[in-house]
Amino acid sequence: MAATRRLQKELNDMRVHGLKCFRDIQVDESNILSWTGLIVPENPPFNKGAFRIEINFPAEYPFKPPKINFKTKIYHPNIDEKGQVCLPIISAENWKPATKTDQVIQALVALVNDPEPEHPLRAELAEEYLKDRKKFFKLAEEYTKKHSEKRPAD
Amino acid sequence: MEDKKETQTNIPTEFNPDLNQDELIMQRHREIEKEIWESTSLVCEKEELSSLEAEYITDEVYQGKVKDLLRKYRYIRRTRPDGNCFYRAFAYAYFESLLNHQREYESFREIIMKNKSSLMTSGFSAVTLEDFHETFMEVVDVLSKGTSAQDELFKLFNDQGYSNYVVVYLRLITSSQLQLKAEFYQNFIEGDRTVAEFCHQEVEPMYKASDHIHIIALSSALGVGIRVRYMDRGQSTEAIAHDFPEGSHVHVHLLYRPGHYDILYPIDTN
Repeated sequence: MAATRRLQKELNDMRVHGLKCFRDIQVDESNILSWTGLIVPENPPFNKGAFRIEINFPAEYPFKPPKINFKTKIYHPNIDEKGQVCLPIISAENWKPATKTDQVIQALVALVNDPEPEHPLRAELAEEYLKDRKKFFKLAEEYTKKHSEKRPAD
Repeated sequence: MEDKKETQTNIPTEFNPDLNQDELIMQRHREIEKEIWESTSLVCEKEELSSLEAEYITDEVYQGKVKDLLRKYRYIRRTRPDGNCFYRAFAYAYFESLLNHQREYESFREIIMKNKSSLMTSGFSAVTLEDFHETFMEVVDVLSKGTSAQDELFKLFNDQGYSNYVVVYLRLITSSQLQLKAEFYQNFIEGDRTVAEFCHQEVEPMYKASDHIHIIALSSALGVGIRVRYMDRGQSTEAIAHDFPEGSHVHVHLLYRPGHYDILYPIDTN
């Protein structure tokens, strides 16, 4: 299967040149189409924790895009209560087979670090983010402390 | 635009807030896609061109054009209408012809190897580019076996893992050529998109249909002449030919019907 070979290469590459903002990549040995990892944002208010995500690759990968889901709850205008995220780079319309998973992750981390209130999945959070940044930061930080995972030590 | 998919059918006309409308549209998309995939192979067996006559029994304009084509071509090979048909039809037709022309195969191989370094500088990521290149070369190297590899080529082109890799690689070559000669191609792009934007939106993604600009770029990047026969509603009794690049020696004959490309085989060579 084309997907397996390509993902094996990408996985090796990511493990060798690890991203600082994406750690603890775990792949089920019996199913390379399913990955999990830890998003480690740099910007406040999300830099108080780390967020577990799941990446599911379709059997048609790289001709169809992967899907990303947050397993850790996050207070973010672009990520909904079910953990779904709207990321243009992996939309069916925009997907390019030459796009690598680490580019997808970097786009995701950029979105977590800097929310895009113009394209929200949670309109109420986008509004709060735009109108009362202080309140948003306070609530998001509390939420992060309560729900997120511990950040890796190094 | 080629292969435009219908999105409006089967969607309830009354708005129901419990149903996610986007999800319904996507569902319908997947159904249509499945229908297409089940009804046409990626690359079909060759068939007599006269089979086209039956498709246009009630249409005089098209009938006249079929008659004209029958004077020049003997066979047609259909490809799946999935938006990749230009690349897939081109690759299959050209590769198949290389089985009979080993010298040309060798020079094509050199062109591809040289082209790879220009792809490397076009901003594609090395890991994925290498992956596409390797698989593309696996298919290209089958051509060294000559005519005995006819069946193997057919199987590879019907195996998504290979066939789509060939399509992707040709898309990258097309994109790189467009960007390399951006000043020239900018004139053909409608709206205020840059050549790079056009490539990201209309060339590099799979299933995005091809137009003249893609054909010109790919044929000039590879130095392979393509003759496209246009069968449309125009009043001419002839299926008009366009050669890309203009005035080149023709290696590949394609039939264009609005939205789709298939392969044609001229009478004299088969």
